[in-house]
Amino acid sequence: MKSTAKKTECADEHTEQSGDAVIEEKDLPETPEEQTITFQAIRPGDDDPRAAGSDATAAPGQELDAEIPTDVPTATPQPPSAETGDTAERDAARTGAAGTDGTDSSGGQSSDAAPGQAAFNVFAPVKAGAAQVATGDTGTSDAVSGKAAFDAFAPVKAQAPEVATDDTAASSQAHHVAVPKDDSPANDPSPEARDTSSTPENASAVKKDDSPKTRDVPPATPDVSTVLEDVPDPRGVSPAPEDVSADHEDVSPVSGDVSAEKLDFAPVSEDVPAADQDVSLSSEDVSTDTPDVSPVPEDVAADDQDVLPVSEDVSFDPFKETKSRTSAGQPQSGPGDTGSRVVWEPAEAAPAADADGSDESEGGSIPPYQRVREVPLPKPVSRALTAALSGLRDSVTGLRLGLDVPGVEEARKAQTEILAQIEDYVIPRVHMSTAPALVVVAGSTGAGKSTLVNTLAAAKVSSTGVRRPTTGTPVLACHPDDRDWFAKGDVLNGMIRVDRPGPDGTLDSLVLASTERLPQGVALLDTPDIDSVVETHHEIAHRMLDAADLWVFVTTAARYADAPAWNLLRLAKERGARLAIVLSRVPVRSREVIDKHFSRMLQEYGLGDVERFVINESTVTGGRLPDEEVTELRMWLTELSVDEQRRGQAVQATLDGVLNSFRSRIPALARHLEAQVAFRAELRTDVDAAYMGALAEIDEATSDGSLLRGEVLARWQDFAGSGDLMKTLHLRRPGRLATKSTQQAPMRLRAFKSALRSGLESVIVSAGQRAAVEVVARWRQRDGVGDRLAAVSGLGRPSDEFVRRVGRTIGAWQEHVVALIRSGGVTKRSVAKLVSFDEEALALVFMISLLGYGSSDVATSSGTGTLPERMLRGVLGADSLRTIGTKARSDLRARISLLFDEETLRYVQVLDEAGIPDEAAAKRLYQATYNLEVAR
Amino acid sequence: MSVSGARAGTMDTRSDLGFRLAALARIVELGPGRVDPALIAEAGQLLLRAGDRLKLSGDHTVVALAGGTGSGKSSLFNRISGLELSPTGVRRPTTARTHACVWGLDGAGPLLDWLQIQWRHRFARASALDRGESQLHGLILLDLPDHDSIRAITDHEADRLIQVADLIVWVLDPQKYADAATHGKYVAELAGHEAITVFALNQADRLAPEELAECVVDLSDLLKREGVHHPRIVPTSATSGRGVNSLKSVLAESVANRRAAVQRLDADLDRIMVRLTKVMPAPDAMAVHPTVDLARQEGLTDALCDAVGVPAVGEAMENVYGVRSIDWVGWPYARWAARLRPDPMNSLRLGNLRDDIRAVTAASVSAQPAEVENAVQALADGLSSDMPEAWQNGVRDSARSQLSRLPQVLSDELTEIAPRLDRVPGWWWLLKIWQYLLVVLFVAGVGWAGAILLYGVFKVGREPTDLLGDVSALPWLGLMMVSVLGLGLLSAIASRNFVVLGAGNERVHLEREMRRRISAVSKDMVIKPVEQELRRYNDFFAALTSGRR
Repeated sequence: MKSTAKKTECADEHTEQSGDAVIEEKDLPETPEEQTITFQAIRPGDDDPRAAGSDATAAPGQELDAEIPTDVPTATPQPPSAETGDTAERDAARTGAAGTDGTDSSGGQSSDAAPGQAAFNVFAPVKAGAAQVATGDTGTSDAVSGKAAFDAFAPVKAQAPEVATDDTAASSQAHHVAVPKDDSPANDPSPEARDTSSTPENASAVKKDDSPKTRDVPPATPDVSTVLEDVPDPRGVSPAPEDVSADHEDVSPVSGDVSAEKLDFAPVSEDVPAADQDVSLSSEDVSTDTPDVSPVPEDVAADDQDVLPVSEDVSFDPFKETKSRTSAGQPQSGPGDTGSRVVWEPAEAAPAADADGSDESEGGSIPPYQRVREVPLPKPVSRALTAALSGLRDSVTGLRLGLDVPGVEEARKAQTEILAQIEDYVIPRVHMSTAPALVVVAGSTGAGKSTLVNTLAAAKVSSTGVRRPTTGTPVLACHPDDRDWFAKGDVLNGMIRVDRPGPDGTLDSLVLASTERLPQGVALLDTPDIDSVVETHHEIAHRMLDAADLWVFVTTAARYADAPAWNLLRLAKERGARLAIVLSRVPVRSREVIDKHFSRMLQEYGLGDVERFVINESTVTGGRLPDEEVTELRMWLTELSVDEQRRGQAVQATLDGVLNSFRSRIPALARHLEAQVAFRAELRTDVDAAYMGALAEIDEATSDGSLLRGEVLARWQDFAGSGDLMKTLHLRRPGRLATKSTQQAPMRLRAFKSALRSGLESVIVSAGQRAAVEVVARWRQRDGVGDRLAAVSGLGRPSDEFVRRVGRTIGAWQEHVVALIRSGGVTKRSVAKLVSFDEEALALVFMISLLGYGSSDVATSSGTGTLPERMLRGVLGADSLRTIGTKARSDLRARISLLFDEETLRYVQVLDEAGIPDEAAAKRLYQATYNLEVAR
Repeated sequence: MSVSGARAGTMDTRSDLGFRLAALARIVELGPGRVDPALIAEAGQLLLRAGDRLKLSGDHTVVALAGGTGSGKSSLFNRISGLELSPTGVRRPTTARTHACVWGLDGAGPLLDWLQIQWRHRFARASALDRGESQLHGLILLDLPDHDSIRAITDHEADRLIQVADLIVWVLDPQKYADAATHGKYVAELAGHEAITVFALNQADRLAPEELAECVVDLSDLLKREGVHHPRIVPTSATSGRGVNSLKSVLAESVANRRAAVQRLDADLDRIMVRLTKVMPAPDAMAVHPTVDLARQEGLTDALCDAVGVPAVGEAMENVYGVRSIDWVGWPYARWAARLRPDPMNSLRLGNLRDDIRAVTAASVSAQPAEVENAVQALADGLSSDMPEAWQNGVRDSARSQLSRLPQVLSDELTEIAPRLDRVPGWWWLLKIWQYLLVVLFVAGVGWAGAILLYGVFKVGREPTDLLGDVSALPWLGLMMVSVLGLGLLSAIASRNFVVLGAGNERVHLEREMRRRISAVSKDMVIKPVEQELRRYNDFFAALTSGRR
């Protein structure tokens, strides 16, 4: 008999549900339909087409099973067998009916195995309220159909993990025809003995038991071992070993078959020794309890050999164990004897059986979490996951969300949340998947969170009062054994552990309290409220929830329709967190109405199946409620504590939920980041567009002659009209230099030059001005976001340096043009021989021509070109004029662009100060998310 | 007596309120484009609401019982009205529609219509029946739906009525009194509404007396932190009836004063004024000078003159006239002599350029757009440097309002008066004739002298007349010819000087005239719109100040 800790996710859910059902049903009568339903949910698990037959049989079996409980009050050695007989008979009957097909086919198929065995599995995920849920699996299996049944089996087991599962493999030797008779002798020790396992009743017995037992047993500690001992189940237990043994025998022949058939299962043949031990050990365990044992050892021994190949899996991989067990069960069908009864012993028993052997089953001396830590996840997986997570963390850490794009607040919040959650919770949790579960109690202010925690802890660990909000610092209450674990603090490692609450509202302290009354492996965390005026409280509460393995949401009769409460529930739903809801402060007389209404609301919201506890309004003394109000809750906690598997699944479910939530949260963050990048690009485009526009304006103004107005025009008229223009050219005469008449010219020339310069400057300055205004205007149009940026002072006008820089630029350009003329003029030798000219004046003429002389209202007369053009052509020659013209223009353009680039820089700086979203960051996020998925 | 006193007070407050509302109206009128549109819209709504409320019955006081779900609004409502009018229950949320109970129905109808209370939820208590409650006459008690449940997310009725009720009674309870849903959105926002806000700490029966005291202290501390300096807190219990009478008497007081409606509007006004002031902080120079001072106007004119190039135009005129006059009034011999000099133009075969150059001077005056723009910009910047940014933009925009037309207008205006540089004054012609006359005289003199030499000295032939042979005349003739030449030279120099002098005078005159015209244009097209904006600015802040009280 192996009892194993098993973690299967899908099973987890089912289990939880069933658990819920149980608890609720405490009040209500158990209905067979429900169980059937549960069962049907499982059925899809059957892969094998051949399973059809057994399946069909199984279903009725289930029903039977469900019915049985009603009959059987407790398990006494005798009655169970009798009843079992009954059951088995009925089962068998159906099996017979249904199994014919199976038999036929099996006959053909498994030659080694005992021919034709009707596989008959009844999975009854029976719930035991407090401690033990007994699942009766009656597996009567045909080698063939049995196999199918086993397929179905695995999920089933998973399903009732916290519970003692009874697998009764009632198997009929030879053809099932024989079965009906065989059923009766439940206790028959002989391996050969026909079958009937008393199991169904066992299951039922146990099941039935819960209610009474729960009553009997002090609610606080339904220890597994206790349960086992208390429950007068020795009968039930005893058959198990036999079962096993029986199976083993069968197994030997079958195993080959089985293994061949079940490819899904881990290679069966490898693990021999371990499995061996297991089996023997468990059987020994049982034997200690059971008087019937005597025959067993032999069996076991006998079996061992056979079993060897098959059962290996078990020890090797907890997950596979079920399956291998199943496979063991399958062969066992041959002797068709007692149902093999797997007791899913909560917490202690399981590991004990696995690792330590018989002794352990009785006492849970070892603190559960120590064992729990052993193999939470296979190493490589964990390592890969850790790597993926830290990659994710790094890429989230690096994000800078500087721009106030709509939704940036949410994104920033999401970023810190995700970060905190990865560090506080996910990474520690991946390492130790079933370490003490952190149950976070959250809810509205005044809902009684602290009171509840105090009551459960049976000590005043958290202060209570009429002041709202009351709790400002989270309080973690746990069993003293767990204290180290939380004090050391991988979980919530950012929080400083303190002994008593500090000044209100500190974001990073955590009060640690320990109390014996809390069960081991479960810690309660009392959080600040989610909806009071003190907003830091909401933050703390959410941070705590992010690190929670289970959420306990507390609301009250007056509050259950509050919007913040439902926001929290929505969040829980989104995150896929394991949730329990406590409806507190319910006036006794309206309890039913409120409860119904609330549950309907929950149902409409898609949370109908969440575990719910109702606490009546009662007087609070010393910060605690009367103990009886929280019995159910305490029991629920205790279950969690005791049943490591269930806890593990709950923890795993929340972890999965969180990891799943990353699937959408991180891409959302990445999308926001992309939006930021895009938005930044847009803002940048705004700047560029405005300045490009300005540049185009300048281009136009400097080529259409509009520059040659006002002073420039007047100076030009002065210059040309006063004859200075003519004087720029002199005939070259030996020994004679400039004429005297040019004395006045330099002044006029200078005036003309500076007019030209200031004209150009003003064109550029005004364009720059307009561009600056336009940038700000464009930014402002970007929905509020640009507003903050645009509000940076001075952006609406050119920089202070701008005018000066423009002056310098134009001056430099003019110099450049003079230089060009000078070097260009030399080239035309023929002219140079005849005429000398004043380069500076000629350069001015050239500029006038370049800036579009003649295209504006300046009169243009002859058709061969404008005055300066013709003059220049005459002096410099057409070719070099063109070259110089091109060079000068492109030079001017380049200089102005440079000027504007410097202006643009200011805006870029503002953008950069706001935060440069890294364009690759979004991609990294997607990649990290993908990696995480792969690692899972 | 006291009633009439209260009435008088009401009238005072009313007229004061009217004054402030007028100020707000002015703000709403002037604000668009300068103040956040949302705020302006809100102010507009407040104006509408104030108008509506003041039109409707002033004898009634609308009291709203507001609070979270489950705090006991409906129970309290029923307690106060003494009837089971509003259904109560344990399911949350209970009340979905507002219920109203009226003490003294006369004239309340339109008010209830305005409040949009459904007919079937209106209840009246005839005052005759309630002898004990005559002091509540004029009370309209509203039982609002909650504002914090999931239902309220989609239903804003509570929100709406909280915004319009004259007096708000916040029904809190020991469990929910510190909810963010109540405080963040309403209480803290309406902190200035103390006079028309009452806090009823309901469900007081659930607490022990000392707990209740602690609770009340805590609540009052909390409210003070939020800016409600003197909160009126009334512990009540709808179930036991405790405290309901004191709540009633608080209500009765307000109802008797008939002032809650006005106080409410007053407080709303205060609030919006504070917000307006926050977004539009009054600058140090609250009122700017509504006209643009002379120095700035001068500055603008100067800058515009530069843009047109007035000094350059004058200078050019002076120079060009000087040069050109040589052709007309100059000594012809000098010109002829100059022509003999070799011309570089000719050597470059550009001889006809001279005509082009002459044509250059034919161009008229024009304004340079970029410089005009910069000038206007500088004015706006200088004026608005102390203003909030929105107003800076306003001033700038108003200054630039006619910018696109300005250069053209300036050019047109100045072309009218500016002389063409190629113009030829009449006296130039006279001088030219005079000069050529002198040339003719000289030529004639030369001929005469030649004839005398020919006939008188060399005796080539018989002189036709004595005059031609009179050798003695020769010295005189020589003297005359020299004087003719001298005269020509003198008159050339003199007239040149006259030209320059005249050009100088004309330049001064021209510059003055151009300046005058430029200043007129700028006043019309730049200063005027700017001054309008400045007045708007002043009006706005005056309204803001007067509305702020």
